[in-house]
Amino acid sequence: MPTERRSLRSNNKSDTSSSANGEKTRSGSQSSSSNKDKPAPARAAASKAKSTKAASSNTISDSGMGEQRDQPHTNGTDPAKNGVNGSEDVEMEEDTAGGPTSSFNASKGRKGDQKMTVVVPPIKGSRKPGDKGQDQEDDVAMKGVEGEEPESEIDPKAKAIQDIKTNFTLLERAVAHFDPRFTLRVLRSISSMRKQITSDVLAEVIVDAYPKSSATASFLLDAVDQAGAFDSVGTSRMEVDADKSKSAAKEILPEIDVYLSILVQIYMYDRKDIQKGAKFSTGLIERLRTLNRRTLDSLAARVYFYYSLFFEQIAPLPPSPAATVTTIRQPLLTALRTAVLRKDVDTQATVMTLLLRNYLSTSHISQADLLISHNHFPPSASNNQIARYLYYLGRIRTIQLQYTEAHGHLIGATRKSPSSHSARGFYQASHKLLVVVELLMGDIPDRAIFRQAALERALHPYFLLVQAVSVGDLDGFLNIVNTHSATFRKDGTYTLILRLRQNVIKTGIRMMSLSYSRISLRDICLRLGLDSEESAEYIVAKAIRDGVIEATLDHERGFMKSKEVGDIYATREPGEVFHERIRACLSLHDESVKAMRFPMNQHRLELKSAQEARERERELAKEIQEGDIDDEDAGGDFDAI
Amino acid sequence: MAGELKSIISELTNAVNRKQFDTANDLLSRAKRTLLLQNALIPTPSTSPELIVLAREALELGALAAIRQTDAPSFTRYYQQLQPFYDLERDATNAKKVDPKNSQRSKITGLYLLLLLSSGDSTSFHTVLEGLVEEASLNGKSVEDDPFIKYPVDLERNLMEGSYDKVWRETNSERVPSEDFALFSNVLVGTIRSEIADCSEKAYPSLPISNAKNLLFLESEGAVMEFAQQRGWVLRDGRIYFPVEADTATRSEKDILVASGTIIENAIGYARELETIV
Repeated sequence: MPTERRSLRSNNKSDTSSSANGEKTRSGSQSSSSNKDKPAPARAAASKAKSTKAASSNTISDSGMGEQRDQPHTNGTDPAKNGVNGSEDVEMEEDTAGGPTSSFNASKGRKGDQKMTVVVPPIKGSRKPGDKGQDQEDDVAMKGVEGEEPESEIDPKAKAIQDIKTNFTLLERAVAHFDPRFTLRVLRSISSMRKQITSDVLAEVIVDAYPKSSATASFLLDAVDQAGAFDSVGTSRMEVDADKSKSAAKEILPEIDVYLSILVQIYMYDRKDIQKGAKFSTGLIERLRTLNRRTLDSLAARVYFYYSLFFEQIAPLPPSPAATVTTIRQPLLTALRTAVLRKDVDTQATVMTLLLRNYLSTSHISQADLLISHNHFPPSASNNQIARYLYYLGRIRTIQLQYTEAHGHLIGATRKSPSSHSARGFYQASHKLLVVVELLMGDIPDRAIFRQAALERALHPYFLLVQAVSVGDLDGFLNIVNTHSATFRKDGTYTLILRLRQNVIKTGIRMMSLSYSRISLRDICLRLGLDSEESAEYIVAKAIRDGVIEATLDHERGFMKSKEVGDIYATREPGEVFHERIRACLSLHDESVKAMRFPMNQHRLELKSAQEARERERELAKEIQEGDIDDEDAGGDFDAI
Repeated sequence: MAGELKSIISELTNAVNRKQFDTANDLLSRAKRTLLLQNALIPTPSTSPELIVLAREALELGALAAIRQTDAPSFTRYYQQLQPFYDLERDATNAKKVDPKNSQRSKITGLYLLLLLSSGDSTSFHTVLEGLVEEASLNGKSVEDDPFIKYPVDLERNLMEGSYDKVWRETNSERVPSEDFALFSNVLVGTIRSEIADCSEKAYPSLPISNAKNLLFLESEGAVMEFAQQRGWVLRDGRIYFPVEADTATRSEKDILVASGTIIENAIGYARELETIV
């Protein structure tokens, strides 16, 4: 430990400037912060591969880490603050002790927290997001390894149960501190434990968590076909009684109910118990509606997500107008209204995207459009919901021929789409649409798009399409549309692609206008495969009017004469493009500032600590006056904490 | 009740076919009242199948009467009222319950598309079309299999492409699928004529009047001259000279003025943004 400390300190520039007093505490903080730092890259990497949800927050958590690393030096020089915050941390410790976590893990985890917070009062808030954002992986991995070492081999089932119970603590903490990030952390862990969820695991957890008489417990147990679990588990395991009495003593939070319900939903979905899942979800939503708790928001959003997922899979399937999904529009709209009234951003965003998806699946585009025009999508929604929303918006606008707007939305969707492996479908779908929209706007998409590993195969038909459009080859274009029509229909881009025909013609005319200074209408007609010369004349005239080409027509002699192409740098165009790019950069900057996480109640903490520091100073001054304190005593005091 | 409705509808059919629109309007309001009394203006699961068929027929006649009186708003209203009935029809499970044979769905939808097209509302046009394409592909067909739908779709495609001669031929000849569709021909010809005029202004420096007559699908040279005057074209030596846009020299000067304004504005904007960032 001393060597480690030394090496750390040598890395640290600010060390030299500190007093002997502050040094001790600070070195402690550094070692603990360094402990946190080391696993960070690994964790981040692991989490990236892990879940769709995690991807966005990882970057944030990393930045949080960076921030945290810097801050101790600036704050650590003020030892007066340190003692003050210790008391608050102790409170937290007590909180967690109440929970059913294995105390070893908890205290181990807490110890780091405590040290950190003691040294760096104002950072406490900002450090936590880092810690939390750090993702479940670290929680699961650390606890999994440390907690179960004594039991030697790790049983996946036991581990799953352990994890679920750990999450209970987190949920309790979320409620106690009114901090949604704990809940998000719990939700993120779902995907990693998904494979381990079985009816046995769920039954055991439920039996452990609830008293026998609980209605929620029987509701959940019924759902997993373990109605008799209380009796069977109760007789086989004696200590259950102790657990039960403990949990009965304190109120079981609705958050935990809902969390377990989500697990049940996932379990049913993975088992393809669609009908049962739909029934269960409907019941669940009824219960959910009676609860009005802000700490429940993100959980509720997830419930609605699975609710809709179940109904999507019940025959008759979506494209048919009688699809089952249409039946859940009413409940979803009610949920949306409730969410808006309660300022429940998570549910609002989720339900809105679900509704849009619902409408689009049965191609009720005008309804979807009306929904958008009458609703305001919450800008503070989670990144993934925004990406989804933008995608649907882009889709609707494309159908409505508003390509420029659609293009903006789709760009946003592709940029915001999580790059993780499991979200690849969304990434591909949004790129497909984007390519078609770019073509419809008369642009040729960048070739690099088609080289990305995630897109190369899925976008191959689109690549061929782009090639045909870019050379203005009408026959080739029609061929591709015919051969790949099944794919295009499946992707829902078929009608859009049919609209491309005129773009192909335009590109063809443009190529000819560039390569010939004068060409007869007859040749144009032949080359483009048009029906008649008259058609060709009108089409060329339209192209001239639309500004596709710079040319004039000679009707009597039947040819098109191209104008000299002017110097593009003499026009305003370069300036406009430049302006557009700068604006994009600036808005990117703004968005990244907005995306950063700022600690909640930071200003209040600062106020408090400032006040306390003043009190402490006064006390110190008094004590110094009295003369019964010296520096060493103070140092010892800090070490004790 | 159903008997009364039936008699009203048969009278209504006669009236609409004989183009007695006043009687038809009277009958329509009576029919609608009867439907309301039976709670069948909007189909519910409990509505009996016969009643649904009758209600649909009444509304369809109403739509046709409206289009023949060139009353677009009321046609749109009828179209919207018919949607729930058509949704029932599309629903495979109800196929036995509701007889789709007498339905004029594709005709009404085709007319609606044409109405949207002639009023230049391409957004709604494509929105409706998207739904139809989806539905058709579900049944393994394409929209073009239906002559009533194919007509507006083809027209739209040709309009967008710029093959105005094809549009002209479609509207002019007996290719129109039904006489109701021909009602839109005049509107459409007017649309393409002004489109062509726009294009010609840009594309040709000048044009002989005889050629312009063919290009613009006008009957006589006199009509061409009249049209040319409306658009403010100059007629000289049997040729039409299109007005050249304002002098390029003055335009470029104005351009520079405008451009320098925006450049200054942009530069100040960047400076301000940089200030906030740093």
